[in-house]
Amino acid sequence: MLKYDVVIVGAGGAGMMSALYASKDPNLSVAVLSKIFPTRSHTGAAQGGINAAMGYRDATDSIEKHFRDTVKGSDFLADQDAVEFFTTHMPELISELDYMGVPFSRDENGRVAQRPFGGASSPRTCYSADKTGHVILHALYEQCLKNKVNFHNDWYLLSLSVDKGKFQGLVAMDIRTGEIHAIQAKSVVIATGGFGRVYWSRTTNAINMTGDGTAACFDVGIPIKDPEFVQFHPTGLASTGVLLSEACRGEGGYLINKDGERFMARYAPEKMELGPRDLVSRSIETEIKEGRGFGDGMGSYVLMDLRHLGKEKIMERLPQVRELAMDFEGVDLITDPVPIRPSCHYMMGGIHVSDYKTCATPIEGIHAAGECCAVSIHGANRLGGNSVADVVLFGKYAGLGARDTAKKRSFTDAKKLQQDAENWVKKFKKMREKKTGINMFEIRDKMAETMWYNVGIFRTEKEMQKACDTIEVLLEQFKEAYIGDSSEKYNMAFINYVEIGNLLKLAKAVAMGAINRKESRGSHSRGDYPTRDDEKFLKHTLIHNEGKKYRLEYSPVTITKYQPEERKY
Amino acid sequence: MRKIHFKIKRFDGNKEWYQDYQLAYEKGKTILWALTSIREQFDPTLVFTSACRHAICGSCGVKVNGSSYLACKTSLDEVLDTFKTDYLTFEPMGSFEVIKDLAVAWEPKMEKMEKVKPWLIPSVEGDVEGGFIQSEEDFHHIASPTDCILCGICASECNQLAVNDGTYLDPFILNRAYRFAVDSRDGSPEEHIRPVIENELWKCMHCMQCATSCPKGIPLTEQVAFLRQESIRMGEVNNQGAKHAFAFVNDVRTKGRLNETMLPIKTDGLFKTATTKVPFALRMIKKGKINPFHMPKAVEGIKGVQEIYKYAEEVENR
Ligand SMILES: Cc1cc2nc3c(=O)[nH]c(=O)nc-3n(C[C@H](O)[C@H](O)[C@H](O)COP(=O)(O)OP(=O)(O)OC[C@H]3O[C@@H](n4cnc5c(N)ncnc54)[C@H](O)[C@@H]3O)c2cc1C
Ligand code: FES
Repeated sequence: MLKYDVVIVGAGGAGMMSALYASKDPNLSVAVLSKIFPTRSHTGAAQGGINAAMGYRDATDSIEKHFRDTVKGSDFLADQDAVEFFTTHMPELISELDYMGVPFSRDENGRVAQRPFGGASSPRTCYSADKTGHVILHALYEQCLKNKVNFHNDWYLLSLSVDKGKFQGLVAMDIRTGEIHAIQAKSVVIATGGFGRVYWSRTTNAINMTGDGTAACFDVGIPIKDPEFVQFHPTGLASTGVLLSEACRGEGGYLINKDGERFMARYAPEKMELGPRDLVSRSIETEIKEGRGFGDGMGSYVLMDLRHLGKEKIMERLPQVRELAMDFEGVDLITDPVPIRPSCHYMMGGIHVSDYKTCATPIEGIHAAGECCAVSIHGANRLGGNSVADVVLFGKYAGLGARDTAKKRSFTDAKKLQQDAENWVKKFKKMREKKTGINMFEIRDKMAETMWYNVGIFRTEKEMQKACDTIEVLLEQFKEAYIGDSSEKYNMAFINYVEIGNLLKLAKAVAMGAINRKESRGSHSRGDYPTRDDEKFLKHTLIHNEGKKYRLEYSPVTITKYQPEERKY
Repeated sequence: MRKIHFKIKRFDGNKEWYQDYQLAYEKGKTILWALTSIREQFDPTLVFTSACRHAICGSCGVKVNGSSYLACKTSLDEVLDTFKTDYLTFEPMGSFEVIKDLAVAWEPKMEKMEKVKPWLIPSVEGDVEGGFIQSEEDFHHIASPTDCILCGICASECNQLAVNDGTYLDPFILNRAYRFAVDSRDGSPEEHIRPVIENELWKCMHCMQCATSCPKGIPLTEQVAFLRQESIRMGEVNNQGAKHAFAFVNDVRTKGRLNETMLPIKTDGLFKTATTKVPFALRMIKKGKINPFHMPKAVEGIKGVQEIYKYAEEVENR
């Protein structure tokens, strides 16, 4: 049996930052598992930037303003003590990243450059052109190489083992050999990223964002916090969901329906296309719902027209966007409008972190950081540029927290762990031998479809109930799923099977959280309850997994400084 | 209905084979769409890697009809048009260890990359608490090389790696060395450059395959030229590559053309040339490619050539 003091699951921004900090203690053995090669992690996809009140671009910016903007952006559902901790420590973290070699764009004084971003009252988003996440991910990987971090690439977390409330270790598969390992550990950091893939075909997320770590924690009794809060980006490419930057609307792009109308006139007559993300997303979906979109079903879309900006402006201001549209939708923005539709972008909810300073969860030994969890600093709506910041900052504190936990704890017995590993070995064998059944990809696509239509941008009781029912059916069908690959080595079909199982589990939690939150707040927008209801719902959703049944409870939001007020921009 | 025929190289850890699949043609799709469709509709055992779907994670490099592409970024129509055929052969990238089907291992490459210390060795100008001051111009030096997504297409296309014993560093590794060597925040550029020199820097053949196939348009061969210049500046002049470069430069300076007969002697010395290059030279003479008795005279415009040299030196010294 493998044995490490600390295991980190995930090698994105959060995982690698944890690894660097946990392994600062030379007396601890630390290992990182990642189902893909570290630099493939989705942190690399972040383009826009990372928020910190450096005050370089605008000397009047402050930690306090960043704090206030984040709380307001969250529609007052963020825990304010955690947000203050976050905004206070971000500036020093940017300097640390600079010192690690992150190639930040610079201002005329040679300091890290900053740009304005949605929901921010000062330009505080630090960036590196339009590849901020990419360069941060690579710099962290370089630091890990320098510090000889022990990576297990192509290792897949299957489950965590907890017996009588005590964390024993985890079960993981070495995908390349097909071997299933029980790994004993004193502490673990889960940093497995988001689960936007519950909306499979309509998301900006990488194909592997399936919430494995979130589901693993859920299974051992850690609740999922606020899963109903899902951020949709208005301008995803129609055929793939790949993100087209907000800059398109910023530069003056038009949104056009089938009748050639600039339909935003109906929803935001003044701001038109420049309305906030959630409003624009809702408007596009209304057009499609009411039959004024192009195409049909999951293939529906509206057009974004940039032609009037002229070739010169497009080439100068939006060269990357033009390339994306050309490569991924086959459209040249200079000569043609591009088909777009909102796309699921970010999960505010996730593993319930109960102590923001150490990123501990209710089970001693299990810590979590990054998009897989909810601290919660994003509440009901995350501000652009706050996620990569969240990931590196809380990644660091999770690493330190897991290190300290490992020093305090000793290895427990490993009976349950071994039993869990044996069960996985049996399951793997059974799935390989199975010759017929229901096609798992069909189950996945049905889940995405029902989630998109019924727990998407607009939500109503009736539709969400439909989704809940469909997911129950799919969960039943999943028991009959068949993977179609009998190989032991590198059996990606089996991995996909486990991933789809995780997505189904999480989709059910998203739908349950949403149907029970009878108000509209942040990204959660209900036709039948169009306003925010602080009296009843200024609280976090916590969903517990009790086998087939989930149990829902609410917990208070920490408010230290800013009393809820109407969120106006 | 138009059909596209795919032949995919399979490998299960022991045996290799080619497997045929067909898809109905659809306009405006990518190579990654083809791979995904084959896998989800016909054969879930097919292994390939992809993640982001928009050319930023670097996982989806694959060879199509012998040339390497990023599967998610490359349109099917483009390759069908390039090769003027509806028959495509997919194979794993070259110069990588294959794990299964189209999936390759990166760990050996990373071990090799560690030779160039691919991390910032911070100069004394900065500190953890305050970071660095770096001018916009200095940032621009590292802007393009940090576009690298480690997709490995440059390595797959590299003609030197294809014949090398494994010592020669992959273009993306040279890029990493370059990236830190030119970073104004790095205090020890030589620590990144010296391992490059020790690992056959001069073997790059300038075939340009890496630079022309890089999906991020990184000017990899210009970086090789820079690293060579730096190596000479560091006093690394007694190796074959540098000597060859000097001989080249001097020939052109004095005569305006190369003296092919003398070039190997100046590069390798008389003894080594006699033992290693003579058989090759004899074949060249036999085929009429070189004339051993021809000692070239200066070309007509030699004055102009020398002016160019003078100007280049001035620019260099600025
Ligand atoms: C297109 C796009 C653009 C964005 N732009 C911005 C932006 O400009 N600014 C901003 O702040 N945020 C942005 N975001 C959000 C932000 O990028 C992510 O929220 C953040 O990077 C998540 O980081 P992470 O470390 O939590 O997870 P990831 O970087 O996704 O890493 C997850 C890791 O977990 C591993 N893993 C997962 N499951 C398993 C398993 N079962 N076993 C082993 N390993 C596993 C994976 O291999 C991977 O290494 C953007 C998101 C998208 C999709
Ligand atoms: S899938 Fe990420 S680069 Fe192609």
